[in-house]
Amino acid sequence: MTATLMRKPAPAAASTGARDSRAAVSALARFEARRLLLSIPVVLAFALYVAWIVWRTLRPSDDYPVLQDADRATQGGPLLVGLVAMLAANQAALRSLRRDTERHFAVLALTPWRRTAAHVLSVVPLALLTAAAVTAQFTWEALKSGAVGRGSVAELLTGPLLVLLFGAIGVLLARLYPSAVAGPLLVVVFLLLFVGGAFPFGGETGPVWLRPVVTTSGVHPFPSDLLGRPAAWHALYLAGLALTAALLAVLVSGGRTRSVRAGLVGVSVLAVLAGVVQTGGVPAATEAARTRASLTPEKDQTCLRRGPSHYCAFPEWTPLVDDWARVAGRVQALAGGSAHERPLLVRQRLEARYGLSGDAALEPATRPDQVTVGTSWGGNRVPEFSMAVAGVLVAGNERRAGELCDGRMVTLMWLSLAWQPDPESVLRNVRLDDSLTGSAVVLSRTEPLTMTAGQTEVVRGLFHRPFQDVAARVKTHWSELTAPGVTTDRAGRLLGVHEEVGLDRCAG
Amino acid sequence: MRSWFARAWSGAALVVPVWRMLPWRALGAAGAVGLLPVALARVSGARPGPLETLVLVRGAVLALALGLAFLLDDPARHTTAPVPARRALRVALRAALVAPVAALWWTAVLLLAPGSGRPPVGDVTLEAATACVLAVAAATVALRHFDEPEPGRGVATTLLAGAVLAPLLLPARWALFVAPADPRWAAAHERWAWVLAGAVVVGAAQLREPLVRRPVLRSPCGTSGPSRTC
Repeated sequence: MTATLMRKPAPAAASTGARDSRAAVSALARFEARRLLLSIPVVLAFALYVAWIVWRTLRPSDDYPVLQDADRATQGGPLLVGLVAMLAANQAALRSLRRDTERHFAVLALTPWRRTAAHVLSVVPLALLTAAAVTAQFTWEALKSGAVGRGSVAELLTGPLLVLLFGAIGVLLARLYPSAVAGPLLVVVFLLLFVGGAFPFGGETGPVWLRPVVTTSGVHPFPSDLLGRPAAWHALYLAGLALTAALLAVLVSGGRTRSVRAGLVGVSVLAVLAGVVQTGGVPAATEAARTRASLTPEKDQTCLRRGPSHYCAFPEWTPLVDDWARVAGRVQALAGGSAHERPLLVRQRLEARYGLSGDAALEPATRPDQVTVGTSWGGNRVPEFSMAVAGVLVAGNERRAGELCDGRMVTLMWLSLAWQPDPESVLRNVRLDDSLTGSAVVLSRTEPLTMTAGQTEVVRGLFHRPFQDVAARVKTHWSELTAPGVTTDRAGRLLGVHEEVGLDRCAG
Repeated sequence: MRSWFARAWSGAALVVPVWRMLPWRALGAAGAVGLLPVALARVSGARPGPLETLVLVRGAVLALALGLAFLLDDPARHTTAPVPARRALRVALRAALVAPVAALWWTAVLLLAPGSGRPPVGDVTLEAATACVLAVAAATVALRHFDEPEPGRGVATTLLAGAVLAPLLLPARWALFVAPADPRWAAAHERWAWVLAGAVVVGAAQLREPLVRRPVLRSPCGTSGPSRTC
């Protein structure tokens, strides 16, 4: 027995000590992680975050997500979770001071810096849970039948890294300023900076990237090659910041070992390097590609033939060609004369030269029978496209359609809306002021159209008449209805609506 | 008459100790954090618009209110409960001592806010007063219903959650956080006044020391008397 004991001498005990402290750190981290995940503020924030994801993803206008935009749409929610994680981690790290149990911990083998490390590690499960939520949100978007484009892993990483960063900042704050008021006050400062608009830098490029989240929610999605967002550098910057805060907290608590110091230098260099590189602006090649896509989109596009017409789209949008062809086909089926079978060229266009948040209107196409379609689809974009098709069928090209002021407007609006399930509510949606009476501007991807009060009245009258009857009259009187100078009054009478309407805009 | 005099005398005797016990560190940090962005906007020469100035001023108010959430923290609470001066008197004394300092701080915030974009002074002062009274009222509620000697942490967290969630979740007809150009500004400030009145009433109603102190440890069997259940 004694001989057996003698064969296993002291060195084993020394290595067990190191392993024990690691095991103790991981046990404390697990315990703190469970407390953090089950604390009321974190549970409420996470419930709110999940509710936000569900509400956002179920919106009907989100039926055709563009995945290179959907990936950065996952970044807003984790900001809330991150701020709450900061508060909760801060309070957890201060618990032993508040409960006056610091003296009891002093007799344990676990040194203060190891306890700090455990507090920092306790945020990791919450970050992983956020990663799961981000993945679920993005996967849900990607699985929608209308999804196009491709997402970026770096953009998806931003959310979980935010939670990690804010949690580490919470622990660091507890070590630097051990007071219960510090956490809530830092939340106020962060809210002012990142939500309240007090951050001194704006725009899309440059120092604005020093913010934790840069969403720049564009109105019109860009092809993923033209985004020009330094997402990977930003993720590296956030990771570097999170690790810097974590190691600084460990260092402040007394963990002045060589590896901690070396690690701190390494991660802070990483954070500074990534922080500087990401503020460099949009690369020249991307700028050139943006100009080319805006001015000569045909160089980048793929053209597909559906029926008599051609549909040219940026490669990522080709899955939507069938949807466009279906809408164009429905409109064309209602037209009469040669317009019924006229081959159209539907070309996707966007204005990328003014950056992601630019909202410049596109110049109407002057080429006969060319129709413009934008980079977003679903919701109001569908009637906008059907109006562009109807405009080209009625007026010949987009520029002339934008200048329509006479009775042809009635035919245009009827063609573009009559085939939809509830044309009156669609008419309300495409009008700028959401009205159903009086004159109004009608939204379009190129130049907006204008409807007079009389035209509105006649178009609504047509929606209340039997569809087949109006459709037959449109085909019969097509050449007169699309002749320049036909009055609204005359167009209404040809189609069976005998309303007294005033003069047209161009007749006065 | 004599008891009134005795009470006033004991109140006067409490002024100095209560002044020393006030959480000056938390209040100072809160005041500094609130004042700093407004001062930075002034010093940097940035010309924030009315909306940005309002956000800065509201942020400052929120910071001060978070500091005031700690006003009633008293580590020696369990030993001061039986003293002759009632809890209402002690709380009122704390509030009265901190009020002039808060008023000075608020004047500084208003003076530092850039003149061109300064929101209507009376209305934002109403908002600030409501936030501060709400913080203290929440602290009195926490003091009354929990045995915690320092309820400030929980009160501050609740207040912060309310300040973040209220603008997001309040329906439009109950909106409180509106911009100066908004037509609902006047109606919203009527609602602010109601909230202030409600906070004062609730806070005042919670001031009494409960007659029976909540037992710290409770036996699973109830009492040892006839109502003993096990």
